[in-house]
Amino acid sequence: MQLGEEAGLELLYARYGGLIFTLALRIVGDPELAREVLQDTFLRCWDGSESFDSARGRVPWWLMGIARNRAIDLLRSRPHQARLREREQLAVGIGEPAQPDATASFPMRHAMVSALQGLPAAQRQAIEMAYYGGFTQTEIARELGTPLGTIKSRTREAMDRLRTLLWPLIEPQRGGVGRP
Amino acid sequence: MTEEHEHPIENLAAYALGALEGPEQVRVESHVATCTTCASLLEQYRGVVGALPFGLDPVQPPAEAWAAIRAEAARRRPRGPGPASIKGLPSWRRVMWPVVAALAASLLVWNVVLQLELTRRPPGPEVEALARRPGRLVILTGTGAPGASGRLLVAIDGHHGHLATAGLRPLPAERTYQLWFVRPGAPTVTGGAFRVDSRGRAWATITVPVPLDEARVVAITEEPALGSATPTGSYLLEAKSWR
Repeated sequence: MQLGEEAGLELLYARYGGLIFTLALRIVGDPELAREVLQDTFLRCWDGSESFDSARGRVPWWLMGIARNRAIDLLRSRPHQARLREREQLAVGIGEPAQPDATASFPMRHAMVSALQGLPAAQRQAIEMAYYGGFTQTEIARELGTPLGTIKSRTREAMDRLRTLLWPLIEPQRGGVGRP
Repeated sequence: MTEEHEHPIENLAAYALGALEGPEQVRVESHVATCTTCASLLEQYRGVVGALPFGLDPVQPPAEAWAAIRAEAARRRPRGPGPASIKGLPSWRRVMWPVVAALAASLLVWNVVLQLELTRRPPGPEVEALARRPGRLVILTGTGAPGASGRLLVAIDGHHGHLATAGLRPLPAERTYQLWFVRPGAPTVTGGAFRVDSRGRAWATITVPVPLDEARVVAITEEPALGSATPTGSYLLEAKSWR
């Protein structure tokens, strides 16, 4: 099968564009900035600014890694209030109902939402501040006024819990190109 | 020095989340380069991190976003050497290589041809013939939707599959079809949600969340658009045996 260059990029966009935009919007909290992240992610992929290493994971992880880093960079370049928004948003919590989905990602989303909801709030907060807020462990400890060792333990316990619950869903598709 | 101190277990999860910096980050990176145990654990953590966005409410990007990307991509030229090898390809092409391979292997053969077959006639022996390849075939019949039928083709790895249906009625936006694996003595699990086109047909890539032989029934129900954790509608399509 022959795929033109643009068709290849379009295929990637069709499969992962929505997820990347969702991630970017969650991090930067602004649709225009999220769109900027979305565009930058695919153009970095297109022009070779980012290197895909299949040994380090699957395509969506790689794409989301680019998007997450770009979004965090944007977040850090903005006033401190932007990062405070992350703490405020965390107070609202997660686990809102998902939107309709006509793809095989439904089981993963359902599993992830359930797994996150099952975490103690403090553990979930540690995960979200790190991933969506771009905070380091030291910064989380400082922001929350909590000992660094406690933050590390919360992070590890949360990740171990998620790993136990989700790895059986993730592992079979490891190295593939489909959705988790 | 204890085993715990030799392996930076406490920092692996934070590293996967991108929440380490300085000497701790360097130590993890140098350690996993030589420790297969920690490298394996880190891979699992990375898998979890990569799946975290699935916990978010999906938001569709603006309709004009793709047009802007396409226009800018057309203006730029992909960098890198020619297509001598995957390793030498520009990043997006390296990404696309497995995508194209997967599409060529599965979608081109299964999707396009089977879709054409479904277009011409309801799934029948011709479609089954397409499934004569390593894997499993589940034939769903329209117990609750007379005239409807479906074929679930499960890949040899047992985890992936393609679902083709015909004869199901198109649903309003607030409803969806959902595939289920009903297990005796265990929770019923879903393989995904899908919609059908205006002619009542669907082709969907699905996940097989449990070994097929653990299921007693494979069924399709109509559910709210958000999907359900367990079936709430009656079985529209159903299979109780497969090969």
